[in-house]
Amino acid sequence: MECIFGFTGKDFVMTATDSTVAQSILIVKSTEDKSRALSKRILLLFAGESGDTVQFAEFIQRNVRLYEIRNGVELSTKSAATFTRRELADNLRSRKQYSVNLILAGYDLTTELPSLYQLDYLGSSVSAPFAAHGYAAHFLFSIFDRYHRPDLSLEEAKALMKMCVGELQRRFLVNLSHFTVKVVDKDGIREIAI
Amino acid sequence: MARSYDRALTVFSPDGHLFQVEYAIEAVRKGTCAVGVRGKNCVVLGVEKKSVLKLQDPRTVRKIVMLDDHVCMAFAGLSADARVLVNKARVECQSHRLTVEDPVSIEYITCYIASVQQKYTQSGGVRPFGISTLIMGFDANDKTPRLYQTDPSGIYYAWKIEIWLKASNYGDYFNKDGQELSSNTVREFLEKNYHDELSTDEAIKLTVRSLLEVVQTGAKNIEIAVMTLDAGIKNLEIDEVEGIVTEIEKEKEAEAEKKKKPSASTST
Amino acid sequence: MNSILNEFKSTSALCEEELHDSLYDWDTANGFALPTFEFPAVHNLNRFMKDITSASAPCQIEIQHGTTTLAFKFKSGVIVAADSRASQGNYVSTSSVKKIIEINPFLLGTMAGGAADCTFWQRELGRQCRLYELRNKERISVAAASKLLANMIYRYKGMGLSMGTMVTGWDKTGPKIFYVDSDGTRVDGELFSVGSGSPFAYGIIDNGFDFDLDVPSAIDLGKRAIYHATHRDGASGGTVNLYHVKPDGWARIGRWDVEDLHWEFQDQPKPSPINSSVIG
Repeated sequence: MECIFGFTGKDFVMTATDSTVAQSILIVKSTEDKSRALSKRILLLFAGESGDTVQFAEFIQRNVRLYEIRNGVELSTKSAATFTRRELADNLRSRKQYSVNLILAGYDLTTELPSLYQLDYLGSSVSAPFAAHGYAAHFLFSIFDRYHRPDLSLEEAKALMKMCVGELQRRFLVNLSHFTVKVVDKDGIREIAI
Repeated sequence: MARSYDRALTVFSPDGHLFQVEYAIEAVRKGTCAVGVRGKNCVVLGVEKKSVLKLQDPRTVRKIVMLDDHVCMAFAGLSADARVLVNKARVECQSHRLTVEDPVSIEYITCYIASVQQKYTQSGGVRPFGISTLIMGFDANDKTPRLYQTDPSGIYYAWKIEIWLKASNYGDYFNKDGQELSSNTVREFLEKNYHDELSTDEAIKLTVRSLLEVVQTGAKNIEIAVMTLDAGIKNLEIDEVEGIVTEIEKEKEAEAEKKKKPSASTST
Repeated sequence: MNSILNEFKSTSALCEEELHDSLYDWDTANGFALPTFEFPAVHNLNRFMKDITSASAPCQIEIQHGTTTLAFKFKSGVIVAADSRASQGNYVSTSSVKKIIEINPFLLGTMAGGAADCTFWQRELGRQCRLYELRNKERISVAAASKLLANMIYRYKGMGLSMGTMVTGWDKTGPKIFYVDSDGTRVDGELFSVGSGSPFAYGIIDNGFDFDLDVPSAIDLGKRAIYHATHRDGASGGTVNLYHVKPDGWARIGRWDVEDLHWEFQDQPKPSPINSSVIG
């Protein structure tokens, strides 16, 4: 039932996650942040088996941070995605698997380009202009196909985000009252209101 | 006689010495100087950098390293040994965050580093780390600046100020009278000038000043890292250090003038 | 699977000298990894557990049992309350269980799910918190304590543990509530209720809560929520146990038999729905 999605803009990536933690039919919390900052400009969104998600995301987060402190350089989004995918793929062949779907959103200072990666629990990794996991994909991909351009301005992106959230709240059976929307750009990661 | 007690590390000499550990401490003494000063709201680490050759890249010589966002470490002794220790400490910092969410406390990571050093004095097939470390930082949810020291035997202390020197066989480190400077002389200087309420600028100045007691070549061989609660870790640029050095020199001259004057008046 | 730390990668060729790693055997992850258990000698443990706990199993092991526990933050701390019924299948085994576990003078844990799992792991948590305190010379934060618990039970995910617990306390960052369960979920929040009676308890708290409640009203709200849950949930009952977490540690407020409460509340006039506060 979880929805995570994101898309690139001109010089930023905009992402959204639903904020609901559910236990069977019960909403346990409706303000949870389902993302972790891997570095100043890389954000990891996660959905999937509860427990696995946070454990895996924080494991990646700490390893990326360790890499940065050891080597004194920030990882590129691509490197972070490659590392994450590899961890997921290695883990898939172990006794207990993480079942986690991920979206990696980042902005690279060197190339000055935003990028977005969609990773699934089987260890695939795709770079894409927009990405969505779970039921969100059914509702949102047509909207992205119709309205998404790589050169979206921030204002346009906010409007598109509003469309996406609106559509989910209108057509999706599950009540997702609140979405956490974040922007990743050259200044870092920040939460915005749409 | 004593010879046979410094072969294997885990063997005491009859009078209770572990020679290898003492040699490791000697290696620290032969290393370059490191100073740590704890101010009211800040901690300052200063180290003496060896002069690099013209064709070397000075950026690869680092004596103050970051362990985590809120912890910094300076060391004296064998840099190669330090790298191993630093790596272990960095892993522990991240691991701590992963297992208990909170960042490490400065005392915790100091204790960890000291324990690693201790392990290497009591295990077969290894030799102790030839380094002493100064660890500075701020604990989470706490405003008190922290400063700790560890040595090759695995002891650790909290300090207001700490310093190590230096070398008996390097000509550079002799003062004008050809006398060997001991860390005691600088320590005396620091003890005299230290008080609990040091501002950030005063703490930096005190650090540079004590380093200047041993570093004859001035600013280009001094590396300073300042840590405050608001600004985090900041490495001073070379011209900033130079500015402080000239300031100190001026002060020293003024002091010398003052001293001269009364002595001149008594002589007349 | 023993340690998270071991999963750290030595990405640089110069890095970890694995040989020497064994020299230093205390680290956070390994140190907190205790205790370990022998597992049943089956090929796939996860499937084995699924088979014996599913409703269609020939001899099903029932692990879940009914409970109502709740915890909420308000301006003067946290109220933690729970019922006291323990059931085995469809008979009530006892009605005087302490479902609020005193981990240490500043930490409380609540117990829902398997009683044995909750008691054991929270005692283990108490041990680790004390060790942490001795090693670090300061009290463990609620975040850290709950994370330790979550990490411990995450290791046994899918192997039949059943617990839904709230770890509450007051540390340097103020009052805290963490919900931790055997799926490995760990979330912090303002208000949680766990157990089969939780929907009933939520109904009372969501509609009667105000952050600025004074202490007696907050206690009353907690008490009522548990009472209403025990009234409607067959698996909850017995007495209401209630604690108040304050800056200087928790205090046990009291224990009320829900039957007495029933008669007490029955005679009271019902409040008008118009002016009651609703959580948005």
